[in-house]
Amino acid sequence: MSQDEIFAQVVKILTPYVKNQEALDSVSAATHILDELKVNSARLVDVVLEFEDAFDIEIADEDVDSVETVGNAVELIQSKLG
Amino acid sequence: MANSQLSARARRGLAIQRAIAFALAPLSTLAVLVLLRGWLRLRLENASGARRTYRSLLSESDAPLLICANHLTLIDSALIGWALGTPAFYLRHFSALPWNVPEQKNFASTRLRRALAYVYKCVPVVRGGDRAGIADTLARFAHLLRSGEVGLIFPEGGRSRSGRVETDRAAYGVGRIVKDVPHCRVLCCYLRGDRQQSWGSLPARGDRLRISLALFEPKAEGSGLRASRDIARQITTRLAEMEAVHFAVRGGGEPS
Repeated sequence: MSQDEIFAQVVKILTPYVKNQEALDSVSAATHILDELKVNSARLVDVVLEFEDAFDIEIADEDVDSVETVGNAVELIQSKLG
Repeated sequence: MANSQLSARARRGLAIQRAIAFALAPLSTLAVLVLLRGWLRLRLENASGARRTYRSLLSESDAPLLICANHLTLIDSALIGWALGTPAFYLRHFSALPWNVPEQKNFASTRLRRALAYVYKCVPVVRGGDRAGIADTLARFAHLLRSGEVGLIFPEGGRSRSGRVETDRAAYGVGRIVKDVPHCRVLCCYLRGDRQQSWGSLPARGDRLRISLALFEPKAEGSGLRASRDIARQITTRLAEMEAVHFAVRGGGEPS
């Protein structure tokens, strides 16, 4: 799966959780999930679990700590997909 | 979140904080009592029963103990500390005075508040802050539990805006701690004043508080994040059940 495909899927998963529609409209790899997209921090784990289901991967607790931006999420998923 | 991930410096820092907190405990625990009993004139229903239960839990096992409570006021951790032990008890068993994880912006925004948070065994966290910072706080907290200290956490992650336990707000961090601290026991604690209609800063003056406790063993299914989230949800669900019993026993109207 290409990086662009992963990016598109990540954004699709994030969309229902996003509170800042403007930031979503101009989303890029550098967009901060909590600060810019205003995803509730308590819901971040639900987002990551949806990544697990969508990409059929397992993400450890510690891995979530490195996810700040959309790009971080894409990189993490890409590394799990091998 | 292995113990080894917490640096020697961080462990030393916590040990120093505990020593200073202990040295000041005769004053700090008394000050809480004066605030709650003298100024706020709060009364506590079934205090002796709750204290007996807490003492018994501590004496029957050395396994780590994490108190998970509902959250309605800014001073809930002080209320729970008061409900579970007297100043004399905490001076004899200082590990029983729970550590807690307050929101940094509420308790560590000024020098005085930072000092108070330090003395009252707090490890402040920035809610929704950067993940590495939160992970560091969780690692410190887990280290304290493994070291025989009691921890107190509010699994909803903040004061309930509806005035009721919000099970869908379960912060997965609590599940992560329980999962990562071997043999961790969870003591669910539901505390509420009769006049506590919703969330706020302080309980109403002269209010009567009721506390209920339940030792709870969350069962994690699966692994990783899913298990952490399941444990957190089980805990908030248990608290919601205790809340239902609270209102059933107390009778009267529900909070607006």
